[in-house]
Amino acid sequence: MLLGEIFELVQLVFVVAFTVFLANCVDYDILFANKFVNHTDSSKVTLPDAFLPVDVCSARIRDNVFVIFIMVISGVFWLHRLIKFIYNVCCYWEIRSFYINALKMSMADLPYFTWQEVQARIIEIQKEHQICIHKKELTELDIYHRILRFKNYMVAMVNKSLLPIRFRLPFLGDSVFYTRGLKYNFELIFFWGPGSLFENEWSLKSEYKRGGNRLELADRLSSRILWIGIANLLLCPVILIWQILYAFFSYTEVIKREPGSLGARCWSLYGRCYLRHFNELDHELMSRLSKGYKASSKYMNCFMSPLLTVVAKNVAFFAGSILAVLIALTIYDEDVLAVEHVLSSITLLGVGITICRSFIPDKHMVFCPEQLLKVILAHIHYMPDHWQGNAHRYETRDEFAQLFQYKAVFILEELLSPVITPFILIFCLRRKSLEIIDFFRNFTVEVVGVGDTCSFAQMDVRQHGHPAWMSAGKTEASIYQQAEDGKTELSLMHFAITNPQWQPPRESTHFISQLKEKVHREATGGQPGNAPENHAFTSTHSLQSESEPRSLIANLLVGPPSLASLHLGREGSIINHLSIGVSEGASALRSLSPLSTSIHMRGSFPSSRLPRPDHPAVAAGRAMAGSGTDARTISSGSSAWEGQLTSMVLSEYASTEMSIHALYMHEMHKQQSRGELSRHTWHRQESDESSESVHDDVEAIRNLPRSNTFPFATTPNQEGAALQSSSQRRYGGTTDSLCGGPRFQRTARMPMGGWSEESQTGRHHEPVPEEGAEDELPPHIHKVT
Amino acid sequence: MNCRSEVLEVSLEGRQVDEALLSLLHTILLHRSTGKFHYKKEGTYSIGTVGTQDTDCDFIDFTFVRVSSDELDRVIRKAVTEFKDALGNSGSDGMGQISLEFYQKKKSRWPFSDECIPWEVWTIKVNVVNLANEQERQICREKVGEKLGEKVINIVEVINRHEYLPKMPTQSEVDNVFDTSLKDVQPYLYKITYQITDSLGTSVSTTMRRLIKDTLAL
Repeated sequence: MLLGEIFELVQLVFVVAFTVFLANCVDYDILFANKFVNHTDSSKVTLPDAFLPVDVCSARIRDNVFVIFIMVISGVFWLHRLIKFIYNVCCYWEIRSFYINALKMSMADLPYFTWQEVQARIIEIQKEHQICIHKKELTELDIYHRILRFKNYMVAMVNKSLLPIRFRLPFLGDSVFYTRGLKYNFELIFFWGPGSLFENEWSLKSEYKRGGNRLELADRLSSRILWIGIANLLLCPVILIWQILYAFFSYTEVIKREPGSLGARCWSLYGRCYLRHFNELDHELMSRLSKGYKASSKYMNCFMSPLLTVVAKNVAFFAGSILAVLIALTIYDEDVLAVEHVLSSITLLGVGITICRSFIPDKHMVFCPEQLLKVILAHIHYMPDHWQGNAHRYETRDEFAQLFQYKAVFILEELLSPVITPFILIFCLRRKSLEIIDFFRNFTVEVVGVGDTCSFAQMDVRQHGHPAWMSAGKTEASIYQQAEDGKTELSLMHFAITNPQWQPPRESTHFISQLKEKVHREATGGQPGNAPENHAFTSTHSLQSESEPRSLIANLLVGPPSLASLHLGREGSIINHLSIGVSEGASALRSLSPLSTSIHMRGSFPSSRLPRPDHPAVAAGRAMAGSGTDARTISSGSSAWEGQLTSMVLSEYASTEMSIHALYMHEMHKQQSRGELSRHTWHRQESDESSESVHDDVEAIRNLPRSNTFPFATTPNQEGAALQSSSQRRYGGTTDSLCGGPRFQRTARMPMGGWSEESQTGRHHEPVPEEGAEDELPPHIHKVT
Repeated sequence: MNCRSEVLEVSLEGRQVDEALLSLLHTILLHRSTGKFHYKKEGTYSIGTVGTQDTDCDFIDFTFVRVSSDELDRVIRKAVTEFKDALGNSGSDGMGQISLEFYQKKKSRWPFSDECIPWEVWTIKVNVVNLANEQERQICREKVGEKLGEKVINIVEVINRHEYLPKMPTQSEVDNVFDTSLKDVQPYLYKITYQITDSLGTSVSTTMRRLIKDTLAL
């Protein structure tokens, strides 16, 4: 880390110096052999010939005011980075001594420790040294809260569609724009910039916690956003130049060497924010997303457009033929290369052909989008509802591309970001300042020993559960308070599974154990005790293709049997791994329960060791034979065999278990929401200019459960008709004028957060508790101990 | 952050400010002081004795107990007088707060100076009211007396909770935990600061400090 920062400083100096040098001190005429150089001893033109003498060079620089200006700015910036670097060094030193002295981990062993072990040690030393004086014992959740405080807020805001990152553009349709620059600005405005909402790193300013002067605070925030937007606008040219130069220096070499790498995809910043659980550390998120990478690439690649394929093939043919001729000539006599522009045309044609080839799909690819989407879901855990069953459609693929974009698109967005960010800030974010103030006031909870955290991050099913996501009957949340897409429930399960030692609060324990029991029952139901078979094929095949696979889990994984065999044949295929993972996971699940048969487990455990990938069935068979008794999960307490495994293996099992749970929850949600289709599906509007086009009528017509966070394409002819009625309904009966976008209204009638509540939904909802009449009430701080 | 914070609020008349603050501060210090440590050879120590005495208040119907150490009394009186003068001179509506902060020192390497890490902060918010006639003043005396009694009980309750206290130090580290400058009593290291607040609840110095810190954070 330290070295990285040093190199960053060096890079900054290098880029500026190199660019200035290239712009001012090089005589391009000599380089391009347009001018003749007088040489006495040899006739070769050397590089130093092209450099202008130092005095000419410095004179040119001094005369060029623009260059001086740029150099001054970069100098100031570099000094600032240097100071920050020195400060960071001291912080790193402290961290290092904390690890060595308090946690008793030497630097040599550090790479081999997992996060779980570090966490366990911190909890231990809390008991001994009382590093946090407010509580006697720290829990894992406290540690996560402290680390991920601001990230949880961002995840919650994206989940509730509070930030203006989705736009409806005229030609490109729905698109998402969320770049590093925009993210930096958001964090600057909310968390740590001058005049931000947070007083210091751990507590919100007290005036933001009270409802009294929310309008004034919203004004203040709005003007601050304006100033920051203007500052962005002023610095835009400098930042733009920097981005272009940096991208140029970084990626040109990549393009030359491996042009196909730009056609590779990566998880976009928006994707990472959307798919992130509450209380999920960076490395956990990255490992999860990386596991889903292969399946996602396959999914994106399996859509082919025949038209594009034909065109690409032909362009590749023509370019390839010219290239072949040039190469043949060069091989015959290499003086051809000295001819003007030959080398550049060879390079360009090569790049062009590689790009064309990327549009031509693999001949041996199988088109099985639903299957792939299931596998992707098993890893990323979140998916809008309307993708289920529609995996083969282009709309689904395009929406998935918002999460998983081309690297080239990523680079392009980063280049455009300095120009677009100020406008987003000034025009879109300012409108939402009242909602943002309300969000921070309503959803901040003070936790003893931790400070102010986002209340969504408490993962409390009662406060933020969604009835359609297995929390029906348990949740008291109004629509404003529910987390979308089952984030609360899934985050809770994920956290409970990754940190098995954590003791959740009582209702959450109930929820978790209920869910685990259900999953358990399904998993064991699908695999009645088979006799262990020796052949990989038959055993796993029989696992999957019983006459009628009754269990939900088996349902999820079984494709057409031919597909299963196809996947079984391939080494390291994703589905193979997942099915093996399921069988391992199921056996692991069974043996995870602490009960009287735990001794039996322990006895049988050495036989069902970590199965190697090439003997899946043997191990699975053994595991099934070994754990003959059907297990009833009661709770997820630490079980006997965990001590025998290292935490590395544990985390691998944990991810498999989480995948199974996530798939199960999505299935339940699908069934539940299908059952509720007769009711009017409520759709929450985003308050930006694109919200006019999304309607409940269209939903009812479409007859598909819609996720609340993904907008979908509506047919334009229905828009006009539905616009009037839905807008009226949208504002809950108050007859606001239909004209204009949803500017935030300063009336007290407007529900907090600018979101409307449908009166037709059968779902219970209280009027959002914070109305304007609450000016005098005491601050809304919930003490959670 | 890793520091307990307690807030006490009192509404007082002008003449009562001195004594009320003295009483509260002395009460807190009474429970956060020990006798002087005398270290013996094997790393054990013996604690000297500390006496207590009652003090009556002239302008309030209240009596409080404090450590019988004149030095400590002098120090506290000085701080309270400073605060009172600042409050009087400020011209604001008579609102201010005085904080008693208990901290621990952490030795740092050169070039950084020693760090003070607070572990408990008592903030007393003072609101000065002006009363018109003698009768109101009389009522005020009694009321404030009662209020202060309640506050003292509050303080004792908080202290009785047996929450974090710094560990008893070895001889070399005594100065990091205790204030050994006084001759007859040894309270935990403390410092008294005050702030005259304007209506928005901020003060100029904190804003400036925050601005500088924020630009550095960029």
